[in-house]
Parts: sequence; C-alpha cells; structure tokens
Amino acid sequence: MSLAGGLDARLSALGEAARLADGRLDTALVDEAEGVVRRAGERLGHGLEATVVALAGPTGAGKSTLFNALAGRDLVAVGVRRPTTSATTAAVWGFAPELLDWLEIHGRHAVAGDPEGLVLLDLPDFDSVETSHRLEVERLVPLVDLLVWVVDPQKYADAALHERYLHPLRSHAGSMLVVLNQADRLGDGIGAAAGDLRSVLAADGLGEVPVLPLSARTGEGMPELRQAIEERVERREAAVARLAADVDDSATRLRAAAGDGHGGEVDRRQREQLAASLAEAAGVPAVVAAVGRAHRRRGALATGVPWVAWVRRLRPDPLRRLGLGDAPQEDVRTSLPRATPVQRAHVDSAVRRLAGEVASDLPAEWLGLARRAATAREEELADRLDRAIAGAELGLTRPRWWTAARWLQRLLAVVAAAGALWLLALAVLGFVQLGDVVPTPEYNGFPVPTLLLLVGLGGALLVAFVAGRLNGVGARRRARRAERALRERVGAVADELVIAPLTAELGARDELLNALDAAQPRERGGLTGRLRRSARPRERAVQAG
Amino acid sequence: MGVQAAADLAVALERLSERLRALGLRLSVPDAERARHARGELVDQIDDYLLPRLRRMEAPLLMVVGGSTGAGKSTLVNSLVGGEVSPAGVLRPTTRAPVLACHPDDVPWFEDDRVLGGMPRTTGGPAGPGGLQLVPTPALPPGLALLDSPDIDSVVERNRALARQLLAAADAWLFITTAARYADAVPWELLHAARDRGTALSLVLDRVPPEGAGEVASHLREMMVEHGLDGAELLVVPETPLEEGFLPAAALAPVREWLDALAADAQARAGLVRRTLTGALDSLPARVGGVRDVVADQEAEAGRLRADVDGAYERGLEEIDEAVRSGALLRGEVLARWHDVVGTGDLMRALESRLGRLRDRVRVLVTGAPPADAELRAAVQSSVDAVVHAAADRAAERAAAAWRGTPAGRALLEDAARLDSASADLLERTRDQVRAWQGEVFDLVSREAAGKRTTARVASLGVNGAGLVVMLAVFAQTGGLTGAEVAVAGGTSAVGQRVLEALLGDQAVRTLADKARENLLTRSRKLLDTEAARFHDRLAGAAPGPEELRVLDDAVAALEGAR
Repeated sequence: MSLAGGLDARLSALGEAARLADGRLDTALVDEAEGVVRRAGERLGHGLEATVVALAGPTGAGKSTLFNALAGRDLVAVGVRRPTTSATTAAVWGFAPELLDWLEIHGRHAVAGDPEGLVLLDLPDFDSVETSHRLEVERLVPLVDLLVWVVDPQKYADAALHERYLHPLRSHAGSMLVVLNQADRLGDGIGAAAGDLRSVLAADGLGEVPVLPLSARTGEGMPELRQAIEERVERREAAVARLAADVDDSATRLRAAAGDGHGGEVDRRQREQLAASLAEAAGVPAVVAAVGRAHRRRGALATGVPWVAWVRRLRPDPLRRLGLGDAPQEDVRTSLPRATPVQRAHVDSAVRRLAGEVASDLPAEWLGLARRAATAREEELADRLDRAIAGAELGLTRPRWWTAARWLQRLLAVVAAAGALWLLALAVLGFVQLGDVVPTPEYNGFPVPTLLLLVGLGGALLVAFVAGRLNGVGARRRARRAERALRERVGAVADELVIAPLTAELGARDELLNALDAAQPRERGGLTGRLRRSARPRERAVQAG
Repeated sequence: MGVQAAADLAVALERLSERLRALGLRLSVPDAERARHARGELVDQIDDYLLPRLRRMEAPLLMVVGGSTGAGKSTLVNSLVGGEVSPAGVLRPTTRAPVLACHPDDVPWFEDDRVLGGMPRTTGGPAGPGGLQLVPTPALPPGLALLDSPDIDSVVERNRALARQLLAAADAWLFITTAARYADAVPWELLHAARDRGTALSLVLDRVPPEGAGEVASHLREMMVEHGLDGAELLVVPETPLEEGFLPAAALAPVREWLDALAADAQARAGLVRRTLTGALDSLPARVGGVRDVVADQEAEAGRLRADVDGAYERGLEEIDEAVRSGALLRGEVLARWHDVVGTGDLMRALESRLGRLRDRVRVLVTGAPPADAELRAAVQSSVDAVVHAAADRAAERAAAAWRGTPAGRALLEDAARLDSASADLLERTRDQVRAWQGEVFDLVSREAAGKRTTARVASLGVNGAGLVVMLAVFAQTGGLTGAEVAVAGGTSAVGQRVLEALLGDQAVRTLADKARENLLTRSRKLLDTEAARFHDRLAGAAPGPEELRVLDDAVAALEGAR
C-alpha cells in the first residue's frame, strides 16, 4: 500500500513511543497514542477504496437536509422538531459493509453512481439536551476520514462547536470542510457571515479550512461542496491524511510532555566516585588489609625461623576471620563487618547525586524517573557486593622461593640442631671425663660444633629477616592486586545495579524522543512541529462598533 | 418584610458574601473549578441582586433579556423600544456591551452603583468593555427596565460570563430562544438554574418558521413541563422579514401585550420581584453547601498531604535514630570529647597527624603513590552530617513521590524547583548543628567528669603514652608501610574507652551516650522540620485556612436566622 507507506513507519514509531512512555508519562497521553495506533491499524485494514465522510453539526443546522440533497433522494427525515436525528445513517456509493460494521452504523442506504467509494454519514447533533447524541458524535468523530461541519447563520460561533470540537481538532485542517448552510436566510449578508466564520476558525487555528456557504434547500452552492467531496473521494487520500494528522497530534502532545533537554553520560569520574563509596561500604579496605596481613603471616610461617614459627599458628588467618577463602566462592557469605549507617548513607548519597548530576538538564519528572531507576535495586546492593567480594580472585599465590627458603631454614635448623647435639654430646662426654676421647674438629681454629650452631641460628635469623622484608614487599603487591580485583568487581556491581538501570532510563528517554521524531512528518523536525501549533488566542478581539 | 428584618438580612448577606469571597478554593480537588465558579456566581448574585433589591424593594423591575447568540435579543429589544439601542446583525456574536433601556423617570434608579456596581455607566453611546449603556426611552412604561445582555453560548468567553452575571442580577428573565435552538443544551442548563433559584421567567420562542409554528411551540411546551418550567410564560414570535431592522407590530404583539400588562399592574410586578427574591434566598444555603463541601474536601486533602510529608520526615528521623542507635558513632563521639576534656585529645591528634604525614611521605618515597584523596578523608570525617543529609534527601523524595500521586499534590509541585531533594544549604546547616552538638557533648562529658579530671588525665596519659610507645615501636619497625600503627591507635582508643568506663562507670557512659543521642535527635528533628516546612509552606498557600469552614457555616446560620 504505497499511500500508507510513510504512515506505516510513523505509526509503528508512535506505537514504540507509546510503549516507551508507558509508566513514564501521563497515562492519558499514552492511552491516546495507543488508541491512535489501534484505530489506524483497523481503518487501514478496511482499505482505502472507500472514503468515510461525516456530516456533523449542531441541531437545526440542516445536516439531514444536506444529506438528502447529496444522496439525491430523501433517505432521512427532516423536521422542525429539535433534535431531529438521533441515530447515524449512512449512504454508500458502492459497497462497504465491513467498514460500516467497524463504524457500528446500522442505518445503511445504497446509492448508485458517482462518486464511487463515498460513504456519507449523517450524524446526530452534539449540542442538544440529548446527551446520547453527543456521545454518538464523539464516538464517530475520531473514526471518519473527512469531517464536514455543517453550521447555520445562528450557530456558527457557538462555543459548543468551537471549544469542544474545532479547536481540539486544529491539527486536522486538511481533513475538514466547513459548510455555512441556510445561506438563503441571509441574502446579501452571507458574504460577511462567511468572512466572520473564517475569522472565528482562524482563531481556532483552522484558518486553512475551506468555508463553503450554501443552501441545501435551494441548492445554491451545492455543486462546490459536491466537487470538494468528490475530489477527495477520488484521490483516496483522505483516510491517510486524517490518520497522519492523528499521529502528528498525539506525537506532538507526547513530545511536549517529555520536555526538553538531554540526559548526560555517566563519566569516568562519576563512576569512580560511586565505586569508591560502594567499595568503602562493602569493606574493601578491610579485605585489602587482611590480604596483606595474610600474606605476611603465611610468609612468616613458610620462611620464618622454624623453632618459633609455630607460635604464629595460634593466631587465626586474617582472611579466614573475614570468612574469605583463597579461592573465589561466590555463594558463601563473608563475615565482613556490615556496612555502618554512615557508609550506607554515603552510598545512598552517592547514588542519588549521580542520578541528579546525570539528569540535571531534564525536566523534574525525568529527574524523578532517573533517581527511581538508579535506586531501584538498592536493596540488592549489600548482598551483591558481598558476593562480589567473596567471589574475587584475591591472588594470594605462594611465591616459589618460599619452598627454597623453607628448605634453607630446615637445612639451617638441621645444621643448628647438629651443632647443638654435638655440643650436647661433647658436654655429656666432658661430664663423664671423656672429653678428649673424641677430638673436636676445628675450622680455622673455631670449633666446628659451635660454628654449626651459630651458623644455623644466625642463618635462620638472617633468612627470616630477609624473607620478612621480601614478604612485606610481596604483601603490598598482593594487597594492591587484590584491591584492583576487588574494586573492579565492585565497579561491575555498580555498573549492573546502578549505572545500567540509570543509563537504560536515559536511553529510553532518547529512544522515546527519537521515536516521536520519527512519528512526525519528515519535512519538519520535532521542534518546528511544536512551534507550528502555538496556543490559540482564546479571546476574539472585540470588534469596535 | 419589615424594614428591620430586611436590614438584618442585608447584614447577614453581606457577611456571607465576604466569607465566600475570602475562600481560597485553590487546592486542586475534583470539583474545585466548579466550586470557584459557583462561588463567583453566588457573590455576584448577592452583590448585584440580593443586596440592592433588599435595600430598595420599590425600585423598578429589572428584566434581563437573555438567550443564545443569534436568537434575536437585540432585534427584540430594539423593536420594543422603537429605536436602535442595541446593534443587531448577522455577525455572531453581536451584542458586546450590555444596554439597559428604561423610562426616563426611572433613570436615577440605575445611574448610581446600586445595581451592577462594578460597571461604569455611559449614556448616548455604546459602553466600553466592562461598562453598561443607559438608554432612557418613553417607549417603555415606568417601573420596568429592560437589559439586553450578551449571548450565553458563543465563542467569546467574556460574553458568556457577563451574560450569566447579568441574569443573576435580574428580577425577571425574558429568555429568548429560536426554533433552531430550543433544544440546545446550554440554554437549558441556564433555565434549570433559573428554576432552581426560583427566578421569575418568561420564554420567547423567536424566529418560528410559519410551516412548523404549531409543532415547535407544542414541543417546547412539552419540554418546559418535562423540565419543571410549566409556570413560565411562553410567547411565540414568528419568523418574518424585518421592517427597517424592527419586528413588525403584529409579530411583536404577544410580547408587547405581556409587557404592557405587567407594567400596568404594580401588584404583579411586586409579586415577580418577591418571587425571585425569595427563590434566590431559598437557593442560597444549598448552593453555599455545594461550595462548602468542596472546601471540606480540600481540607481533608490538605490533611492527607500534610500527613504524607510528616510521615516521610518521621521516617527520616527514624533512619537517623537507627543509625546512631547502633552506638559506634556515639561512643566514638563521646570518647573524642573525653579526650578533649581530659586534655589529651590535642596530644593524640597532633601525634597522629604528624605520624600520618611522616608515613605518607615515606610511602610516596617508596611506592610513588600519592597520599590518600583529601576529599575522601573529609567525607569520612563528616559521618554524622552524611547520615542526617541522606535521611533528609530520602525523606524529601518520599514526600514528593507521595504528593505526585494525587492531582492536588501534583499541582502544588508543579512550579516547585526541585522539592524532591534536600535543600541546597542543608549540608551547611547540618554541619553547624553537628558542631553545636559536639560542643554540647563536650559540656556533658566535662560535667560528668568534674572532680575526676586529674585522675582521668593521669590514667589517660598513661594509656595514651603506652599506645604511643607501641605505635612508635611498630612504626620504627615497619617504616610506616603497614599501617599497623593505626590499628594500635585504634586499640589505644578502645583502651581509652575502658578507662573512661572504669572512671565514670559503665552506666554513666551509657547515660552520656543516651543524652548525646537525645540531643542529636532533637537537633535532627529541627533540621528535618525546616525541610518539611518547604512542603508545608507550599501547602499552606493553597489549603483552606483552619477557620474557613466554621466561619462559612456561621454565616449561613446567621442568614437562616435573619429570615
């Protein structure tokens, strides 16, 4: 369907916009947009071969008389009793039962001849004491392709017509005709009255709508109306034009409700600030400190003087105390101290501040939406942070030199033990006066057993000291590595639970604006579209004299 | 009605009008718009009609000619007067400034501002906007004035409002409709109002096409009966070509005869006046009641909105309480003041900062890493402010969210710049309060510690001294690279707490903490109250005053009493 081609894209854009606006903008506007999309789909489904033209107007304007005149025979009753018509009647040039079923019109008359494809509706009035008539008009006005407003010299400036129908439909100028009926009653005054009607319409924002003065009774002016209707029926564009105006209208209203301004991006500094508050609250500094201490402790156990190292075993491993293992284990709860209220307050402020900064250019409702998005998963934060820490690869590897150092310490311990035992043996031999039985070897004049003991002990201390220094360096390196890993994981949680929902919300806004731009006609962007429909000057200028 | 009774009634009416005028009716509840409208009509009717009429019962009967645009009001008035006093024409709407026609002898009655006081009078030419043109004409009998009002249903809103105001000021309505219009909804709304207020009413069915005269007139009569207007006069004027802009005498005859009969019969005129007056007075309590109901709704809605705000900030205070109840915060604070009191705080602080600087320098030397972020350090220090500020922020968000849930609240938030977060200067004020609080905790602790100060100082110096020695030892050993000395300092603090407890007693420390908490909560409440006041002020600007309902009820009761 080439005619509706551009419209299809705009309709789906509006549908997308309605989906995005749902829960974010005024429900009435969202419902309206959805209604437009649904109606358009149904109307297009019935094809563009038929054009639905409705005669609408106040009671007594002569709608039914005009209907009969256009149909060429008396299909509906006319009378002086007001209101005359209470149910909608259709005259069909051709055949369109499904379309009439959709319109829910039961009074139907077939008319032969041209213009083929015209479906003419005679609507009831909208201004009489019968409210059911008004409801019927309000049901059908959104559905028809072309609205012919029939007014008379008495009623053309009625508020009921202009304020309830014409002004709200001001973007539908292309889908309307205004007929000033009963021209025969005014005689020469008809030109002035038509001019005045045009100025009232201009005040409605409908300056472009054609005004056709005519008399359905005398037939004066009827050919012009007939021609105007026939032209539109033959072009078969009325339905598309009307639906396009509907889409435009709805998109413009949504665009106005969405407000101006673009959401900012979450930049590196903001992300780091957030991650820092989260890390603080999650106890990252405590874990980092524990990693350093744990490495030093293990190092001391591995490389310290074996005689005394066991004492250290009595003190628990700092990491075990926090409930952290060497290997990542996400599903085990850590024993890290819970975040203090102060830390929680900092996290809370950080999240809110982030949302506020990013949405600072947006209208107040979107600031609220951004905050809601950023804080939506705040409840999960504590648990997820804990998992992030429990699941972190802390990198507490055992350096290879520890093994060497341990063997060295053992060797030194053996040496020292050998020296000590030797000395003990010497002491025992000395005690039993056999001291000279076994000669004591000497090394450069120094007794070997003493040398062994001293070298063993001194070497152990030296190794322990050097290893301790090295372990200090290793501990700091591991602490740094652990901190990097932890902060990265905390950052990932911040991304997932705070920044992603926030960016998604801002992204949804951008998508909404894009969809609304796509729903509006190509030749004008969103902005000009909005400017075009400035507020109507409500009060007509009082004409002097 | 006696003179005294009339005067009493006038006083009661004046008071009622004043009370009605004083109603704010600003909060957006359903029907608020309608109530504002009804209030305007009531005030206009009291001021423009009831009061002038009560003061001068003998004044001429003011008959207002009203009806739809294009019904032929001006043509009818011109024809009755016999001169073009009101412009008529094919352009809609025609009459823009109202015209009052009366016998020259009656002019003094209408010259002053007895009736329609707000409209300046002009004679001899059309009145400007908001004015009233007086036309003396001998064609009208004395004792009867005709006022040609603007239309009731055209696009010109000012016409519609003015027409309603003029109709409310009338002793009787001459309501004009046409064969095309007689079933329109808008005129019937007005006719219902006239019926409900007991206004004397006559209908003119104008522009009746000869072929449908009987049918239309009988249908209109049916409708009048159906709508409870069977007592009203119905005068039929057929559609005829105008003679020099006037209706021919034959067409005008029914109206002319009816008017002449009324002018000739002073009794009948007085009856009409009394009927309308009584009807209007009777209708007052019910109409004021309608407005009163809306005021009551607004009061209830304001109460709900107030409760929303209070609830939100009450929860904020609970959050602060929860945060400080855990104790760590307070014990730390009490201990810090304790250090100040015993005079060791400065020593410890100086030592710690010096050590800290040294450590930072060594760390920079060894690792090249910059010292810890200064901003972060400040953030940690401001722990109490952070808790209070976050609570205020959340409370503001909750209150704003609750308000956004109702139309009235939404309207109040509309022009409010960022009410949904804490006010910009709150952090500053919180800091002031927290500083003041710390000062009070200091006073508390020093009062408690009075007399034990020397002992305390020795003990504390002992503890801190020991801590210092350990710290220096650790620092010397690790070169400040492990931060262990900080842990020692923490341990020293813990020991300090023990000393504090040992000296003052566990109970005393707990009492101190409790008092400090009470004090902090009082200050927080004050802070949150000023925050909540932002909402309350906004609400107070729109909500009905506390006495509005009672005063209005009193005024209605006084009116009923005066009758």
